[in-house]
Amino acid sequence: MPNIGFLGEPVLLKNVGKPAALTVDGYRQGGGYQALAKALAMQPAAVIDMVKASGLRGRGGAGFPTGNKWSFVPKEAKQKYLTVNADESEPGTFKDRVLMEEDPHQLIEGSAICCWAVGATVCYIYIRGEYVEAGDILERAIEEAYAKGILGKDVLGSGFELDMVVHRGAGAYICGEETGLLESLEGKRGQPRVKPPFPAVVGAFGMPTVINNVETLCCVTHILDRGPEWFKAIGTDERNTGPKLYAVSGHVEKPGTYEVPIGITFQELLDLCGGMWRGPSGDGPARQLKAFIPGGASAPVLTAADRHIKLDFDTLAKAGTMLGSAAVMVMDETASMLQVAKRSAKFFNHESCGQCTPCREGTNWLEVLLTHAAHGEATTQEVDLVPQVAKQIGGNSLCALGDAAMMGVGPIVEKFRDEILAEVRAAATHAHGNGNGRRAALPVLQGA
Amino acid sequence: MPLVTIDDRQVEVDQGTNLIEAGLKVGVQIPHYCYHPRLSVVGQCRMCLVKVEGMPKLQAGCSTQVMKDGMVVRTDTPDVKEAQRAMMEFLLVNHPLDCPICDQAGECALQDYSFKHGMATSRARFEDKRVYPGRERIPLGPTVVLNMNRCIQCTRCVRFTAEVAKTGELGFLQRGARAEIGTFPGRELDNDLATCVVDICPVGALTSERFRFAERVWYLDKKPSLCTGCDVGCNITLEHRRGQIKRYKPRFNPEVNDYWMCDYGRATFERYGELPRLLAPRQVKEGRATVVSWEEALDTFHHRLRSRVEGAIAFLGSGFLTTEEAYLLARVAEQLGSPHRSVWTAPSRPYHIPNPQGGVTAEDAAPNRRGAELAGLLAGEGALDAVRLLAEGASEAGVLVVADSDFGPAAHDPETVARLRRARTLIVLGWADTPLARAADLALPVATHAEKDGTFVNVQRRVQRFRQAFPPPGEALPAVEVLAALLRRLDPTWTAATASAVFARLAAELPAFAGLTWQGLAATGAPLPEAEAVSA
Repeated sequence: MPNIGFLGEPVLLKNVGKPAALTVDGYRQGGGYQALAKALAMQPAAVIDMVKASGLRGRGGAGFPTGNKWSFVPKEAKQKYLTVNADESEPGTFKDRVLMEEDPHQLIEGSAICCWAVGATVCYIYIRGEYVEAGDILERAIEEAYAKGILGKDVLGSGFELDMVVHRGAGAYICGEETGLLESLEGKRGQPRVKPPFPAVVGAFGMPTVINNVETLCCVTHILDRGPEWFKAIGTDERNTGPKLYAVSGHVEKPGTYEVPIGITFQELLDLCGGMWRGPSGDGPARQLKAFIPGGASAPVLTAADRHIKLDFDTLAKAGTMLGSAAVMVMDETASMLQVAKRSAKFFNHESCGQCTPCREGTNWLEVLLTHAAHGEATTQEVDLVPQVAKQIGGNSLCALGDAAMMGVGPIVEKFRDEILAEVRAAATHAHGNGNGRRAALPVLQGA
Repeated sequence: MPLVTIDDRQVEVDQGTNLIEAGLKVGVQIPHYCYHPRLSVVGQCRMCLVKVEGMPKLQAGCSTQVMKDGMVVRTDTPDVKEAQRAMMEFLLVNHPLDCPICDQAGECALQDYSFKHGMATSRARFEDKRVYPGRERIPLGPTVVLNMNRCIQCTRCVRFTAEVAKTGELGFLQRGARAEIGTFPGRELDNDLATCVVDICPVGALTSERFRFAERVWYLDKKPSLCTGCDVGCNITLEHRRGQIKRYKPRFNPEVNDYWMCDYGRATFERYGELPRLLAPRQVKEGRATVVSWEEALDTFHHRLRSRVEGAIAFLGSGFLTTEEAYLLARVAEQLGSPHRSVWTAPSRPYHIPNPQGGVTAEDAAPNRRGAELAGLLAGEGALDAVRLLAEGASEAGVLVVADSDFGPAAHDPETVARLRRARTLIVLGWADTPLARAADLALPVATHAEKDGTFVNVQRRVQRFRQAFPPPGEALPAVEVLAALLRRLDPTWTAATASAVFARLAAELPAFAGLTWQGLAATGAPLPEAEAVSA
């Protein structure tokens, strides 16, 4: 069983650790599939209104209001699709995996509700290839749902026809970008499309397509079940509502998936995780917080001074960062910010699809610069070039991956510049002292 | 039509026009690499970023369409300039900067935009440049060579093979900064239009096997011309240095070849270098071929036509004659009252050049059979025509005039030459000293199509004009001048002695060309008047 925790009543994670919930009967015992039955008795437009009223915003990263997204789908189209984005690949993010492995019917139910609301008759669950077990569990659950009349020709006896298919990706970050996902789903090279047109108008196979994150659709199940007012009552304000999963990793005592009201402060979340790490033995002094990334590798880093910030969409945006996928990565005083920046740059360089100039060339340049720095071979000017290069990627790229690289790498170097320069100098001295004589030490000292 | 304002200049455009095209209408050039008017829009190079009022981020000019009135675009704001500078910097971070040994230098979009939008220095280390080891000179097929180090991943070539040639040999492989262009293992880039990827490659990544290292492009003189490979009549730019043709490149004509031409056509100029050249008039005197002056040659020509003893006077033209030359030859035949005039051409492989109307497909392996026939080289019933001459021989002819000496493969076939030689007198005009020319009693050296002005009528019955690129070598003259001089000997009132003057005469006289003017054909030609259509 994965490490999980709650603040208040668990809703999304209530079935974690209950193997019975993997079956339709077990899921029904906990009240499952009542929300779907309720939705099928409503007009689709009323379902959309209900989701709109709940204030639910997308849990994948961009935070787009879900009800609005659904309402953009043209009603007259002959064929519409729902594509569940289960390509959870933002570094540090593992919340959707828990949902799919522990409670697949919750996702199936939420997806079916969405399909009814927008008039989609086919639902693709695009899951990253590495999630082998989650994919298997979903496939078994879908098979049983067909057998029990929850999917197929006649959903719960309503006459609504719905097919659901698990489609496994081959493991590319870019296929989590919604149009890259669609290209991959269509069997093409996974690279983003020019927008507009947006997928709600021209999506999978040229037809209107809603693309929602796993957690978003799981929330829909409970909004139908308990009503939008219940959902809205949870959270910071009416733009930041509902229960939220945070995937906490790094130097904390109990890393794991936490379900808390959206907008909890970082410090409260940290306390829920047992505070900062106490070392491998578990009884040392708690480490000092140096930095944390609030929303996956794409989100600008925050420092210990920001520890009381509310972890919701708008507060984080105001602070120049973002909630993103709510993957909270915590770093203590031993973390090398140079290595963090370099690893991040390496990730984005590796995952850039290569079609647009700034992302293809810029992410590579970032990694080159930071690799030099890590070897003690970079001048101060080259270290300062990192945020500059990052800024000329961001805003200019074809899709959000370029922006992600800008936000994920640049601010680390900006906010921890002195520390990183000291690291570069130390590495240079070390390299020099070892006599392996990489060409470098002097320019760094001169540049500084 | 919606009104758009670009850099304070207003223009009405069709709904859906993108900003690059709208800009061109008001003289604003938005820099771009990946955009091409005939390829799908991918928005990859990001060079065309512009400021659209009301949009928070810069927008790609290629993928932003004018949909309704009132769009206001700026291409000169500081943030646009900065984005252009940034894209140029990114494109050059990994570019080898090997311009001195790069064939594209001088016609390279990286060079041009560096000059205009880039920076003079580099902030990246030279030794950090990404390279594709072993991918510096990969023959993608028989005609195209790839240097991956120079590629800017614009994918124009990939989209060309997928969308225009519809052969799909090329793909975009790997990803990120390691992304590269390539073919499927074991497959080649080998289609009729393959070299077009060299034309549309904005950099030196794809070069032409034929043109590679043949000439620095800034030494080339360029003239608008036509390809003579078949009767599609692709509009070309003929590029030469001091009379040595180095390259044919397609010249845009949306009615005919659009932006494209075929690899076969690109190679046709090589024939001018492969065959020996006829450089001076040559007459057989007392059984020996002797070089003579033009005066003497023309007098002989005139004399033989006038003083034959018996047999027909036959004229065998070719599809390589210009319309004007064919017209003059037909006038000569008329003066002599000869009905024996015809044109011979070999059939062509059905080369297909796509254009927005669907495309044009070749029928003849010569550019102007239709024009020559319409100008009067069309045999009547029972005449001694090309089919009979070539199959049965020319023994019925007192005089046989063949124009030109390289009218087709038959001009090199000893048996055919022997059959034509059965004419009592054989007179041959041509630029090439072929076996046929060597068998003639009188061989007259004339200009190649690169060395003269003229018009061709293509398979669509479109009249197109080409220009002299350089003067003919030696004693050779444009055939129009030769035939006009001959015609003056037969008819002292004849005056027209240039292609333009002859065209004016034939347009006034022949219904098929009614209303057409030499000047009117200057740019992209004109279709023959439909009402006067004569089935050719």
